[in-house]
Amino acid sequence: MADRAGYRIASVVTALGASLLLLFLTLPVAQLVAAAGLPGLAQLGHDAELRDALVLTAVTASAATLLGMIGGTPLAYLLARRAFPGRAVVAAVLDLPIVIPHPVAGIALLLALGRQSAVGSGLLALGLRLTGSVTGIVCAMLFVAAPLYLSAAREAFARVDPRYEAVARTLGDPAWRAFRRVTLPLAFRGLVAAAVVMWARAISEFGAIVILTYNPKVASVLSYDRFTSYGLPAALPVAAVLVIFALIPLIALRALRYDRSAAGL
Amino acid sequence: MITVAGLSARAGSFRLADITFEVPDGEYGIVIGPAGAGKTTLLEAIGGIVPVTGGAVTLGGRNVTALPPDARGVGLVYQHGYLFPHLSVEANIAYGASDAAIGRELSRRLGASDLWGRDVRSLSGGERQLVALARALARRPAVLLLDEPFSALDPRRRASVRRELRAMHREAGFTVLQVTHDFAEAGLLGDVAILLDGGRMLQAGSPEDVFRKPASPYVAEFLGAENVFGGEVRVVDAGPADRTGEAGVADRTFEFRTTPGGFTMIAVGDAVPGPAHAVIRAEEVVVSVAETASSARNVYQGRIVEMSASGALVRVTIDVAGTPLVAALTTRSARDLGLVAGMTVHASFKAMAVHLC
Repeated sequence: MADRAGYRIASVVTALGASLLLLFLTLPVAQLVAAAGLPGLAQLGHDAELRDALVLTAVTASAATLLGMIGGTPLAYLLARRAFPGRAVVAAVLDLPIVIPHPVAGIALLLALGRQSAVGSGLLALGLRLTGSVTGIVCAMLFVAAPLYLSAAREAFARVDPRYEAVARTLGDPAWRAFRRVTLPLAFRGLVAAAVVMWARAISEFGAIVILTYNPKVASVLSYDRFTSYGLPAALPVAAVLVIFALIPLIALRALRYDRSAAGL
Repeated sequence: MITVAGLSARAGSFRLADITFEVPDGEYGIVIGPAGAGKTTLLEAIGGIVPVTGGAVTLGGRNVTALPPDARGVGLVYQHGYLFPHLSVEANIAYGASDAAIGRELSRRLGASDLWGRDVRSLSGGERQLVALARALARRPAVLLLDEPFSALDPRRRASVRRELRAMHREAGFTVLQVTHDFAEAGLLGDVAILLDGGRMLQAGSPEDVFRKPASPYVAEFLGAENVFGGEVRVVDAGPADRTGEAGVADRTFEFRTTPGGFTMIAVGDAVPGPAHAVIRAEEVVVSVAETASSARNVYQGRIVEMSASGALVRVTIDVAGTPLVAALTTRSARDLGLVAGMTVHASFKAMAVHLC
């Protein structure tokens, strides 16, 4: 009897704790969308700056994600499959941008890619400016979001049993062809999910971008700019639209996961 | 031909060390050993899947130690099949084949034709094994490496697939190395048996030799020999070999006394005087109710202490001077003799049936 009562109390406490956390996480966002969602969407029709900021956010996040996939996929495969000295150190270093504060990431990028740096001045001489430019936004997004892609892609490759590749190799495939014909298709859903996570992280980035490139403005910077320049009422519709925008990759991710579990993978 | 010379390999923390054996061209090699012995790692080292850290692998006279798996001409079938889940059964079988018709013909012979239209993910374990076997064979490998390829098949299907594979093996002349836990399978299929344990090779030779003349008491017990006795060997008759230096070892006669106490038995063959083990397979022990005249040189009287039936066989444990001696009889024989626990019987076996190691 005492056991059953204890179990009931524990259940109630757990449910209460979970409900409070859920409320805390959803209430601000729900309130924001409820208060300014429709006006924000309506504002899209006549606010060209907001439209441009959203397009710029989508384009730069997509470019950063593409670069992350191109560079990150082979690296994620290597980290998942090959044992080499210092692998743990490489993996930890690659995760570093996830844990450092994002303004700090922006400062580090400014130091490495700014006009005063060797890389920044060299690229500037070639006509490529990394601060105060679209390239700068892509760099900031790539820096903070690529580690998420790498981590998820590494997991996706690690989930594919290496013996599939072994069989493909004995069936006459050289390493690259076995990767293309077997490993890549089997890890594909995981890689797409990793890319969606990276894209979602990129569109929500603010700290690193604002230090590297204030103008042109991405949606997060525009929201901040309206808040500091015109106050909360001006920032609300922009913020609400950004939340709705951010829901797109989340829904895509859920759909992918549902599809994956439905496929039995 | 598969020639493995001083092979060492590493797979994670597991190490395979100093493996040496040969499976002649077109013959069927069997690898046996307990779980964790390194059987799969051995196949993977031969196939080029795990890195070789020492020694050499020669396939068909070509040293392939440094070659990648795709250049070795081997087919590999894992116990779980590892069918590519994103491809159909048909695409799986055709994956490495130069001609799709070969895959169809192999599927027909292995009884897997009806699986062609099925989704790979809906196949049972046994069906996966059939498709994996057809897929490996469709590439026409010179060497086929099989890791318990029939383990998920029902006994009837297993027997027919085993027969068909043996027939294909004879027709095409490829060399096979198969891992199995099934001693009957080893005896039925194998021309060469390789026994592994703990990453090391314990014995290699014909299945008959490995089963009848195990290299150590451990091998004997692993291979299911129920009568393994520790004791002392003494030469009774050195035979003409020692007298003239020409005759074969089979002419030498030994006396083996089990320790502690126990009984004495006569053995012939080759042995070194001193501490040793005697192995007598239970099938070699004949049980009779009355002492009968026979050519067996080892005849004992004892009391039945235990009888246990297993399928068509009965294992009868007879106490001979305080030492248990196990005999395997058919259920029918045991019934005809009226054997029951507590009964006094005679147990006999030939001197040739005693293997000293």
